Parts: sequence; C-alpha cells; structure tokens
Amino acid sequence: MKIDELSLIDLAKAISEQKITSYDATKFYIEKCEERKDLNAILEIFDDALDKAKEMDEKIKNGFKGKLAGVPVVIKDNILYKGKKASCGSRFLENYVAQYNSTVVQKMLDAGAVIFARANMDEFAMGSSTETSYYGITKNALDPTRVPGGSSGGSASAVGAGLTPVALGTDTGGSIRQPSSYNGVVGIKPTYGRVSRYGVIAFASSIEQVGPITKNVKDNAYMLEVLVGGSEHDETSLKTDVPSYLSQIKGSVKGLRIGVLKEIEEAVAGFEVEKSYRDTLKMLKENGATLVDVSIKDFKLTLPCYYIIAPAEATSNLGRFDGVKYSRRSPDAKDVDEIYFKSRSEGFGKEVKRRIMLGNFVLSSGYFDAYYNKAKKLQQKLINESKEAFKKCDCFVLPTTAGVAFKLGAKSGDPVAMYKEDLFTIMANILGTPAISVPFGKGENGLPLGIQIVADRLNEGVVYNVADFIESKGGDYARV
Amino acid sequence: MSKTKITIDEVKRLAGLSALEFSDEELKAFIPEFEQILELVDEVKNCDIGDSKLEYTSHKLSDCREDVAKESLPQEEILLNSPKTKKGSFCVPKMLD
Amino acid sequence: MQEYDIVIGLEVHSELKTNAKVFCSCKNEFGQAPNTNCCPVCVGLPGALPVLNKKAVQLVIKAGLTMGCEINDLAVFERKNYFYPDLAKAYQISQLVRPICLGGKIELKEREVRLNRIHLEEDAGKLVHSTAAIGTLIDYNRGGVPLMELVTEPDITSADEAVEFLTKLRQRLIFAGVAECKMEQGGMRCDVNISVKKKGSKELGQRTEMKNLNSFKSVYRAINYEAKRQIEVLENGGTIVQETRKWDDNHGKSVSMRKKETSSDYRYFPDPDMLAVEISREDVENLRNELPLMPEELKAKYMGEYGLSEYESDILTKEKDLSAYFNETIKNINNPKEVSNWILTEVLNRLKDGSEEIKISPKDLASLISLVEKKIVTRTNAKEMLTRIWENGEKIENLVKEFGGNVDESELKTLVENIIKNNPKAVADYKTSDTPEKVFRWFTGQVMKETRGKANAAKAEEFIKEFLSRE
Repeated sequence: MKIDELSLIDLAKAISEQKITSYDATKFYIEKCEERKDLNAILEIFDDALDKAKEMDEKIKNGFKGKLAGVPVVIKDNILYKGKKASCGSRFLENYVAQYNSTVVQKMLDAGAVIFARANMDEFAMGSSTETSYYGITKNALDPTRVPGGSSGGSASAVGAGLTPVALGTDTGGSIRQPSSYNGVVGIKPTYGRVSRYGVIAFASSIEQVGPITKNVKDNAYMLEVLVGGSEHDETSLKTDVPSYLSQIKGSVKGLRIGVLKEIEEAVAGFEVEKSYRDTLKMLKENGATLVDVSIKDFKLTLPCYYIIAPAEATSNLGRFDGVKYSRRSPDAKDVDEIYFKSRSEGFGKEVKRRIMLGNFVLSSGYFDAYYNKAKKLQQKLINESKEAFKKCDCFVLPTTAGVAFKLGAKSGDPVAMYKEDLFTIMANILGTPAISVPFGKGENGLPLGIQIVADRLNEGVVYNVADFIESKGGDYARV
Repeated sequence: MSKTKITIDEVKRLAGLSALEFSDEELKAFIPEFEQILELVDEVKNCDIGDSKLEYTSHKLSDCREDVAKESLPQEEILLNSPKTKKGSFCVPKMLD
Repeated sequence: MQEYDIVIGLEVHSELKTNAKVFCSCKNEFGQAPNTNCCPVCVGLPGALPVLNKKAVQLVIKAGLTMGCEINDLAVFERKNYFYPDLAKAYQISQLVRPICLGGKIELKEREVRLNRIHLEEDAGKLVHSTAAIGTLIDYNRGGVPLMELVTEPDITSADEAVEFLTKLRQRLIFAGVAECKMEQGGMRCDVNISVKKKGSKELGQRTEMKNLNSFKSVYRAINYEAKRQIEVLENGGTIVQETRKWDDNHGKSVSMRKKETSSDYRYFPDPDMLAVEISREDVENLRNELPLMPEELKAKYMGEYGLSEYESDILTKEKDLSAYFNETIKNINNPKEVSNWILTEVLNRLKDGSEEIKISPKDLASLISLVEKKIVTRTNAKEMLTRIWENGEKIENLVKEFGGNVDESELKTLVENIIKNNPKAVADYKTSDTPEKVFRWFTGQVMKETRGKANAAKAEEFIKEFLSRE
C-alpha cells in the first residue's frame, strides 16, 4: 500500500486495521516535509511526533478506536498544542510555547491523531498570500513561483504537495478556501460557532472558524466530524447536536435548488474563473439540479464591511501582545510604556500594524457610529437578505477566487488589491454560514480554480453533498 | 461623497492608541495608503442600510456557567512564557503609582 | 463655604460574593500566593475566551432589586480597551450600552439619591510597586474577580451624605448576600465626582474625579478637602480643570494626576467572544423571592411586630450578622424584647470588650433566657453561665446542673419548711405588712442564699406560699 495514494479515510482505516503503522505513516510524511523544505509550508516538525506515533501503534494494538487513530495531522501556527510552539507567523510570538490545548487539538488527540507539524501562515492570519509571515514566504504546491494563498497558505500548500493527509486552517475572510483553491485542494469554513475557537489565537472573533483542508471532499467531511461540537470554554461555540456529514453525501444533486446570485453573475464577468463558474452551473443543471435566481443586494459591501469589523476586533484581540506577560519584550524598553510601544513595534509586521491602526480608527470616538456600528448593522442587513435568498434555494454556487494563484510579490505592495483577493469568500464569514472550496476546472498554466458552495447556517451536509458531486465531475471539465 | 482625509496628527493619535511607534517617514508613507483603505471602507459609511438594527446573539441567563470553582494552573505554568518574573509574579520596571 | 453648593456623584465598585471568577472557573479568593488563582483567561493567554458566571449576573440583579432598579431584559458585555499592566488582555470586559440594572434609588435621611445604573465587570490584577531594583510585580489573582459598579446621579450634597449613602449601600449589599464589602481587602472602592456651584445656581460647575478611595473616612476627608480646594480656586478667580485627582490619605490632600492623552478613548465595542444575556421576568422574580428583608424592612418589623424600640431596632439591623443572630434566637424563644435586651447588653458588651465573634449559639442564648423565664436559674447565674459558655465553650446542660434546677424537690420543701419555722418574726411581718410581696421576696432570697442560687425559683415560691398559708 502506498501511503500517499491513500485518502485520509483510507489511511485511517489502514492504520486502525494495523495494515500500516502510525509510525510508518508519520515517518513517511515527515520525510515528505523534509524533501519539500523549499515550499516553506511547514515551520516545525514536532520532535516527539514519531514517539507519539509509536505510542498510538501500541494503543491501537491494545484496542484503541478513534476516527484519527494514528493519523498524522498538521496544524496551522495559530492553533495551540500544549508544550509546542505557536508563533502565529509573528516575530512577537517567536518563542511562545502553548500552555494549554485548544479544543480542536484536544478533540483530535482524543480521536487518536498524531499532530506532527505546524504550518506557516500570514502573520496573525492577516493576509491572502502567506507573504506576511515573519518566518518567510510559503510557495504554491503546484507552482513555486506563485503564492499559496493565505492566510492558511502553509496548510493548503502542505496538503497540495502531499506533505500531510490533512491540515487545519483558520478562515476569517477566506483564509481556508482561497489557499485551498490555489493549491487544488478542498477546504471548508464551517458555520460560525460549529467549531470552538478556544485555544486558537484570535484575529476577528465574531467571524472566524477553524476548518480542515484535505485532498478530497469526503476526507474533509470525515475530518470536520472530529472537530465540531460545543466547548464549555467558548460561549460562541454551538451546543446543538452534531450530525454525520459523510452520510449526507449522496452522489446526486437531483432536485436540489442551486442559488445563482445576480450579484455574482455581474462580478464574475471577465474574470479567469468565469468559465469554471458557468461550467459548474451548467453541469449541476444537467445533472438534475434546478438553478434559481437569487440576490444579495449588498454583496459588494461584504468586503468593506469585513475591513471594518475584522480590524476592529483584531486591534482589541492583539492588545494582549503587550510585552508584559509572555513572549517578546523589547530589550531596549526602560519603562512600561516602552515595553508596550517597542515590543509591539518590533514584534509586529507591517500588515498587522496597518490593521491595528485601521481597527483603532473605526472604533475611536467620532468614527465609531459611522464605521463600526454601521458595519454591524449592514452585517445584519446582509444576514436578513441571505435568509430571504435561502428560502428559495438550498445553496449558492460562486467562485472562490477571480483566477489562479498569482505570482509571488505581485500584490504585496498594494494592500487594497490584496484585500480584494477575498471578494468572493468574505460573504460567508459576514453571514456566518458554511462555505467550501472545491477544485473545478483549470486556468492559466493548468493551475486549479476553485468553486465555492455556500449554504445556510448549519447546513454543512448540503455543502458537502454538492461539493462532492462537483468533485466527481471535475475531470470531465478540466481544461488546460 | 468626499473622500475621508487623514492628518498626520490623526495618524499619531491612532499610533498612540495602538501602542505602536513609527518613524516620521513611516508616518508620512502611511497616509496615502491609509486613505486608499478608507476609500474602500467608506463604501460602508456611505451606504444605505434602511432601518437595519443591531441584533445581539444571545443566550438565556439559565444557560450561563454555574458558579463552581475549579483548579487553576500551577504558578510555574502561568509564568512559563514570561519575559521576566520575580517572586512568583510578572515583573516590569518600577512604575510610579 | 456657605455660598456654595457641593454636587457629588459616586461610582462604587464592590467585589461580588461568588465561588468562581466572573469569566473563568478560578477561585474568587483573597490572600493567596501571587498568580496561583490563574488560568489562561486570567492572564490573557492567546486563544483564551471568557465564559460568564451566572451567579455574578444574579447577584447584580439582586443588588438592583434592593434599590428599585429596572432590570434590563438583555444585558450586553463590552470591551473597554486600554493598556495597563494590571489588565491582562489590554481590555476590561464591562458594560456600557446595556447594563444589567438601570435607575433605582437609595433614600437617605434628608434626600433621595438616584442611581444611574449598576453593571457587571471584571476586576483587574494587583500591582505591587517594589524597589527600583526589583520593579513592579504583577499578580493576576484578582484579575477576573466579579465586580459590580454602581453609578449615582450627582444628588449627594455633602461628605456626610456620601458616607450615609455608602453605609446604606454597604448594608444592603451585605444583607442581600451580594458582596462582603471588606474595605480593608479592597472589596469596596469608591470614585468621587465632585463640583461646586454658587448656592441655588442651576448651572453645574466643572467637576474633578478622585479614584479608588477605599475607606469611608477617606471619602469623607477627600470630599471636604476637594470642595474646599475648588471653592478657594473659584474665590481666587481661578477655574476648575476637569481632571482626575489622586487622594493622598497620608497627607490629607488631593493631587492632580498626570493625564495621558489617549486614556480617555476606550473604544468600547460589544465583546465578540461573548453572547448577550437574556434576563426573563421569571429570572427576576425568582431572585426577588430569594432576597431577605433589607435593614429598613427588618427595622419596621422589629418595631411593629416585636414591639422593640427604634433604638434597639437600629442597633439590631445595623449588621447583617447581628440581625441574623437575633432572628435565629427568637426562632427558639418567642420573646423578642427579652432577646433584644440580652443581645444589646450581654452580647454586645462582650463584643465591645474585644471578642471578634458571638461565642454563644442562638439556641443556647434562647435556652438561657428560657431558664431565667422559668426561674430555673436566676438572672445573675444565667449571666455567669453565659460568661463560661463564651469564654470556655462549656456546655449549657452541664452548667444548668451546676447553677440551677438540681436541688431535689423534697430537699427544697424541707429547706423552705425550716426557713419558715426559724423565722417567725418574718412570718408575722408577712401577715401584717402593707407590702407582703417584699417579705415574700425576702423568703425567696433566703432560699436562694441557702442553695447558692441553684434552686428552681418557681418551685421555691410555690413551697413558700404553701407553708406561709399553713402558718
């Protein structure tokens, strides 16, 4: 059995049936990571990974059962795993060692996972190209002259390059879906609150979620089943029952009502992704789905809305990185004020500083109502518009990005151009709905393009079913 | 709609609130960049939201956590990543109170 | 001074009486080794999230109900952002737009003080300013202790009234079981906003704020000092600058604090990590039903139902513990007046003499009073018994054997018979006297003397009566 040809589900099965050891699987992927150091997708391979794998093999022999028993997993650098570094792509947290386990890590460990490495990311998840990491840029798995997308660029590139069967990312405005699209893999942002954020270094609390990045849709559904569920440490985590997602993948879209957003029809015109998008709709229709015209009138405002809410929350969330309690303290600081100003100025990169400043602008007195409060009211309006639209359809289909992965450095000098990378993905964060990116069709140089499925809150099952169907038909529509 | 302009004093005020220090050059370079971003977010400021109201996500009082005390982390684990500690405490240069 | 009105508003912080902290499950406990009651939430570790303690909300609602506040049906928590080393997250979770309680009032002798609001927030850590070589030490044990902040309208007009207000507030919080208000532990702290204006003028003067006064005495002194200072400034043609001043209790004066330009913009916004809390009418009524009587209500009950004097009622309702002791005692003996007498004299005297707590159970005190009532022991002996219970923790059952009721009935009968036989003159006096009861008491006294007070007085009297009637 060739380990890298196995899906996550098959690998988990093979290990639990003791056809492959966790040790061999973990060693295989560690070696892969070593081989592809050029990508700079992985920041650290945990030195106890193989020991943990051996322990798991023992446990499996002794009857341990778990969905991830012995399965090697990569986490993004902003997810806390007790005793391991979590630097959030930032110089500020260069030597920060997690003092407790995040809920997602705990759930994976309980399921038997061997968490063997952490992946690079944009600093504090602020970016769409993994070029803002203090630990160097990460490269696209399929074309090293291009960005892997971001902020979960390390995780997506690692999965795309076959360095791990699965990686966790976080998605605040598209940070799982956009890099998944760029690396030809599958990534979901679950319903807000479906996965607990406890122990995940916060960027924009009200809109971000952890989610899995995998090679295919079924693997993704399998992995999400491990991560979901309420946490007593997280008020915003949903305490409602967790369904099986895999069982909702039916291999058919017959009778499904696919929402075609008027605003997307307009926005997509002329973009590289347009053909993939139209092909997807055509394919779904040919296979028995009904296309329904729907509208979210203020779709275009999701992007500016995001660039008010996210920086506002970030500015407050990042206040705790003050040089007093943990990690970086400027060696030059002579008093408390200097500890604050110097540690933060030295510890944060340019984009992080920009967003902190922007956040303070929209929150500060005199601007609060015009920006922050207005954005929150707009968010409510968008949610209401989406509720109307979801009455008419089961899900929306829209592109993940405008085109294939762009060249390294192409947008790094232009923040607004970079922000517009998330044009299609931000809506799901603002609405709190689940959204998946699945590869469909090819663009320039045969690089993958991604299609998004967005359903109403808690309808991950629909999202997975449609994405799986699109994935199954992907080959028929591949173009070079 | 007129563009939102920002002054150097405003940028300095934001830097103060942010606990960030910038060189004069950085501050100057910041302004056009920031104004470009403001142009984007001003779309929200200038949009019509009708009678849309703030709605809070809420839960019932009875769903809140019970008042049960649990074990804390050991002191050495709390102080683990601290750049400076003394006498079981986090430590900063002496402040005037 | 006479030409000016003083206008005072208070902001009072009280630590709530919960087991756990407000946003995590660490203990709410004073006096532990630094940073030992801490978890990721207390220290603001990356990824930590607040989870609201139900009891803290309930206690603030209870506090509000004792002061006639309106309880908001939706309470929202906001972040107040600023950098300070005692604030681990660089924001304090507090409430601005939708506090738990709105309005309400406390009646003073001469005035009603309106409340603006009561809200729930978290306390900050503690800074210990050591030597320059050591620096400032930060202990986050207090960080996250639930704190209620009560804000009054500027209705208070003197230092005396401020203290009267605080006394009443403290009483209420303690009676309602909301807070312990241990001033010496920083359990109750007060910010004072004060301004002066020409007498009768409608226009308010510029105000100053004094922060973190932690005793009633410093509130009193600070107000008088600051009012005088402001009046002097105005009299000398100066103007009052709106500022925060620090009260220096050692030197008895307030000094201006260097004010940071950024400190006033707290950039409040709803905490995205938290859910708003729905408070139903049912929640409120359930909590109302749990509330014990407040001091004023108790006082009215003591005077009306029990016939105690205002003086007695005042004393008994001043401290929660004492009124609870009184209430418990009268459950065991239905004689409030006598219980009040005993508490006001015997119990309080012993407390005044240095005892830290009442060292006789309500049940035992009730038994003592009952023993006296039934004349099983004399009042004098009962007091002696109280002393021995108080000081040595002796058992009341044993003391009764020693002090009373243990003279055998036939023995007592013989004794009485002998006394009457041996005192014919007194017997004659009894029969002819205008005040036979005096002579009767003399006989009783003789019996007690002979038995060293141990005789059952009621029985003794019965026998005396019997033998006298035979003579």
